[in-house]
Amino acid sequence: MIEVRNLTYSYGKKEILHNLSFQVETGTFHAILGANGCGKTTLLRCIAGLLTPQSGTVNIEGRPTASYNPRQLAQRIAMVQQHPQTDIEFSAFETVLMGRNPYQRRLQNESQEDWSIVEQCMKLTNTWHLRMALPSQMSGGELQRVMIARALAQQTPILLLDEPTSNLDIAHQFEIMELLQDINQREGKTILIVVHDLNLALHYCPDALLLHDRSLLFQGSTAEALSSERIATAFGVKARNIDGYLRIER
Amino acid sequence: MKKRINIWIVSAALLLLLVAAMVLCSGVGVVRFDRQELLQSPIFWNLRLPRIILSVLVGAMLSVCGGVYQSVFRNPLTDPYVLGISSGASLGAAIAILLGWEAHLWGVGGMALFTALLTILLIFRVASMGNRMHTTTLLLTGVCLTFLISAVISLMMAMRQDKMESIIFWTMGSFASASWFDVWLLIPIAVIGLFVVIFYSKDLNLLLAGSETAQSLGVEVEKVRRRLLFITTLMVAFSVSTCGVIGFVGLVVPHCVRLVCGADNRRIIPYSIFIGALFLLLCDTLARTLIPPNELPVGSITSLVGAPMFIYLLYKSKRRI
Repeated sequence: MIEVRNLTYSYGKKEILHNLSFQVETGTFHAILGANGCGKTTLLRCIAGLLTPQSGTVNIEGRPTASYNPRQLAQRIAMVQQHPQTDIEFSAFETVLMGRNPYQRRLQNESQEDWSIVEQCMKLTNTWHLRMALPSQMSGGELQRVMIARALAQQTPILLLDEPTSNLDIAHQFEIMELLQDINQREGKTILIVVHDLNLALHYCPDALLLHDRSLLFQGSTAEALSSERIATAFGVKARNIDGYLRIER
Repeated sequence: MKKRINIWIVSAALLLLLVAAMVLCSGVGVVRFDRQELLQSPIFWNLRLPRIILSVLVGAMLSVCGGVYQSVFRNPLTDPYVLGISSGASLGAAIAILLGWEAHLWGVGGMALFTALLTILLIFRVASMGNRMHTTTLLLTGVCLTFLISAVISLMMAMRQDKMESIIFWTMGSFASASWFDVWLLIPIAVIGLFVVIFYSKDLNLLLAGSETAQSLGVEVEKVRRRLLFITTLMVAFSVSTCGVIGFVGLVVPHCVRLVCGADNRRIIPYSIFIGALFLLLCDTLARTLIPPNELPVGSITSLVGAPMFIYLLYKSKRRI
């Protein structure tokens, strides 16, 4: 369970998140929704322990994230960043193998277990055939799947993703979302994902956190979160839900 | 498992090669000996041997430091020279020479060490924002300081033309004045420094993938960075304080290793130790034997040999840097 209590975060004088509190139950699949600049990424990074909030706490397994060292935290939370690095010279296999770092000691060899977990994660994300490829030789969708494989190799109960579908075409967006849905249902991983495409969220994520004006506007089922009134408040556009599909206009 | 054994085999082979090269290089020189004479000659014991050991130590340290900087700052152009540490040291040496401290055992070297540390502190101070380091600012500050310092040194040379030659020799780097004192000074720094870097070589890989990625994969990023930067600065400053500024080694050796064996720092760091040592040893041997009885500045040999080799490797290689 992820428990966020009275979380406030600001960059310098600019407050991004104000006194946010909510709980995310184990095994749920949440979309984090909201307009640009409303603090979705900041929230995700606070949960991942990459940012230290000015006040408030994030509790994982009943303990504040600040009380874990990076290694322990990396065994509990995996994060897929918005922009995967493309200028490095590690093959896809080496990249996914990095996901095993939280379980390895320095100067220690990779164990047989590490190798088989990496193979398993790469097969699951359909990237095993790309194992020798460098980031510069992969398409955006392939690279994103490799990053998801690395996060899976961390074998964490919690998976955070920051707009993993933002640079992908529609078919690849479906592919990634179906993969996440599958992981959520089969392995019971708790997944939090920042999505921009409301229909994608509506289709794949059962639950949602809707952010607006530095705080939480709504938490509950995605269909309820994306009612006409809430979309009007959060995004300033008109929307109608027609047969489970959002029709959005200015 | 297989990969790890290969690292040991390759390292052992490189070590053998290095030892063989050291033995061979100790035999050549301006003064020729047969084997019996060589082992009894003070030229061998007091001049040649410390010089060979020193060039090996400095070559290993500069290469490894370059490799660390390139990974920590995620920038292929970084090396001790670009960061301004080397030129900071040369400023101290020039000042000491102008003040006439050459005769003193610690005069030039001590002053070089002092200004090198001062320079790196200044650069880090300018480039750090909160507890993070801004790489572009860091490099630009380093480059600016390098220009500033070389201007100051030129002015000094113009004002004191009688000291010009010894300053020039120092800014271009040379092992001509190597002594056992230098060797005993560098050995502990080299052993500790190289061990620390090898210990953190896996973290270097993760840092190369981005500091946020590294952190979310369990690396204590700022702590590891700070330790690595401290130990490498110490290695560079001590190296420069014994033999002057030698460019190109720190930049090129880790890149050459990377072009041949890939981006994994667990291989790059140990291989760079041996390749760097071998490279500087051969360059220095050339520097002292090419036009006897004169000495060439070893810095010009490293560039003369290294640059074409590097360009060839770049051309041949499909991997980008």
